[in-house]
Amino acid sequence: MTVQTSPAAATQQGVLVSTDWVAQHLTDASIRIVEVDVDTKAYAEGHVPNALGWAWDTQLCDTVRRDIIPKAKFEQLMGQSGISNTTTVILYGDNNNWFAAWALWQLKVYGHKDVRLMNGGRKKWIAEGRELTTDAPKVSPTSYKASEPDNSLRAFLPEVMKASAERAAQLVDVRSPQEYSGEILAPPGLPETCQRGGHIPGAKSIPWGKACNEDGTFKSVEELRALYGSAGITGEKPVIAYCRIGERSSHTWFVLKHLLGYQHVKNYDGSWTEWGNLVAAPVEKP
Amino acid sequence: MPKPEEYSERKTQLAGWAVNIVTYRLGTTYHTTIDNTNPGAWVVKAQGATKAEAESKAITEAEALLEKVKKSKPPTGCTSVPGF
Repeated sequence: MTVQTSPAAATQQGVLVSTDWVAQHLTDASIRIVEVDVDTKAYAEGHVPNALGWAWDTQLCDTVRRDIIPKAKFEQLMGQSGISNTTTVILYGDNNNWFAAWALWQLKVYGHKDVRLMNGGRKKWIAEGRELTTDAPKVSPTSYKASEPDNSLRAFLPEVMKASAERAAQLVDVRSPQEYSGEILAPPGLPETCQRGGHIPGAKSIPWGKACNEDGTFKSVEELRALYGSAGITGEKPVIAYCRIGERSSHTWFVLKHLLGYQHVKNYDGSWTEWGNLVAAPVEKP
Repeated sequence: MPKPEEYSERKTQLAGWAVNIVTYRLGTTYHTTIDNTNPGAWVVKAQGATKAEAESKAITEAEALLEKVKKSKPPTGCTSVPGF
């Protein structure tokens, strides 16, 4: 199977596919296409033919405690989605693949070998006037065996506190400048928020959207390297990305880990809704 | 299968926020989404029989929402958007 990538982005091979490529593989039995949106009603309005839809707020998290999807539930979700351990999973979604990246990060945490993003996401598919359907695909359930969670991809609070206090890792705040400065607590219209505004001491502000072109696709590797490099994020030191609830930082995690190939990159999914609610946690406000 | 047609995208300001307005027609229905891609995307969606109707509905809803967003200094209370 050949993956179509930008000529300038050699390292993107294997993790990104174009809308053209997806259109040519809609009925490929070795592939499962899944839409994951911020707006969980978007899938029902029309989606890529043969794509399944996953809801991030009920199917990609623990619905009792705050956590990612538990391993057993993950295996169940994958099996019910007709995904085997060898299936190529193509993820896409709205908002430049925010929650598609969140899903990809979780698939990587549980060791799925071949998972990729559709470059440009739902927006590009629609802008290109490609077919949409409201029909759900027929799925033959499979048996899926997940690996134990790979926590080298995930940062928890104690590690982030150490990173902030000792500069043991570089923290990248991918929220908007207004959230970073504490001017607002959450993007307009999004409910998950916190008691205090500002950012984790030592964090650099590199909003997630700077990694994207106008059409929703990722910038070239050269542009991305320059973007992060200008803030001193070069991959030589461990990096921890965070945002508000962990979805935008999944997007940046994907860029740093898979497009730029940095070795030690973690997503702090507790993010600002954890840190900004902690009693007595240090907060930096410019 | 239907294809989205008449896709349009424009940037503007609503209640002091930069937003992106996307509209397309799917079959006989126009779909409008307003998102704010700098602070992080939020979604207001509306549908209508015409482009003007869909955009008008979406803009009205978006303005009402954005006007409530507090640019605040802590302590701020529980949410940035009253009512959520």
